[in-house]
Amino acid sequence: MLDYEEVRRLLPQAHPFIFVDRVLDFEAKKRIVCLKNVTGSESYFPGHFPGIAIMPGALIGEAVAQSAALLFVLSEKYPEENNRLFVVGTTRTRFLKPVFPGDTLTITVEVVKLLSSSAMVKGWVEVGGEKVVTTSLALAAIDAAELKAQKRTLGRSPVPQEVSR
Amino acid sequence: MTTELEKDITHMLAEVVEMDEAELWEKRNSRFVEELGVDSMLALEILALLEKKYRIEIPEENLLDLVSLQSTIDFVDQKLKQRVA
Repeated sequence: MLDYEEVRRLLPQAHPFIFVDRVLDFEAKKRIVCLKNVTGSESYFPGHFPGIAIMPGALIGEAVAQSAALLFVLSEKYPEENNRLFVVGTTRTRFLKPVFPGDTLTITVEVVKLLSSSAMVKGWVEVGGEKVVTTSLALAAIDAAELKAQKRTLGRSPVPQEVSR
Repeated sequence: MTTELEKDITHMLAEVVEMDEAELWEKRNSRFVEELGVDSMLALEILALLEKKYRIEIPEENLLDLVSLQSTIDFVDQKLKQRVA
């Protein structure tokens, strides 16, 4: 239904932080089904773990959150004009089985409650018809400028001082 | 807490806002956002839980009516009575 090029045009994230390859099915304001192929060459596998490659649970959660963001954006009148970022506010997640290179994730997200700038969704991830993750998420859509304003200032100036000679 | 509705909603919300039920009941007139540290994400969670449990629909504009535990109980009570009527 939507290929990778369309997915990355709609998501605010970029490579190497896109965890959806395709949108398989979509019903506005209700439901989305996405696909993610997990390959052995993903950037995180050398470190997670050196002895055995397992997809980090947090990144499977990210795949669900990105699917939810796509559901949110595609439900808008002008999806291409979205300039908001999606942040997860709360999450309750169960990791049922590990995900390995070669697995294909089928990610289903259903709306529990949709508001104008936030959504509560439930989602599940399957590999070969078996559930590997179940989750519920609350997401907020916010402007990048609003996020920047929340940056904590550090004790020292982030701009290097000029050295006088 | 005397009615079942009061007990149920206090129990449900205490879990979401991570407070002791008795303490939340004592602070039932305290404002969620300003006094109890509830943010918009928790408010959304509360809304979704109430809708699911009581099979009611709470439109976005009604979020402003749910400012405290007491106002939430009153709101749900009214919604349920409307359904019966």
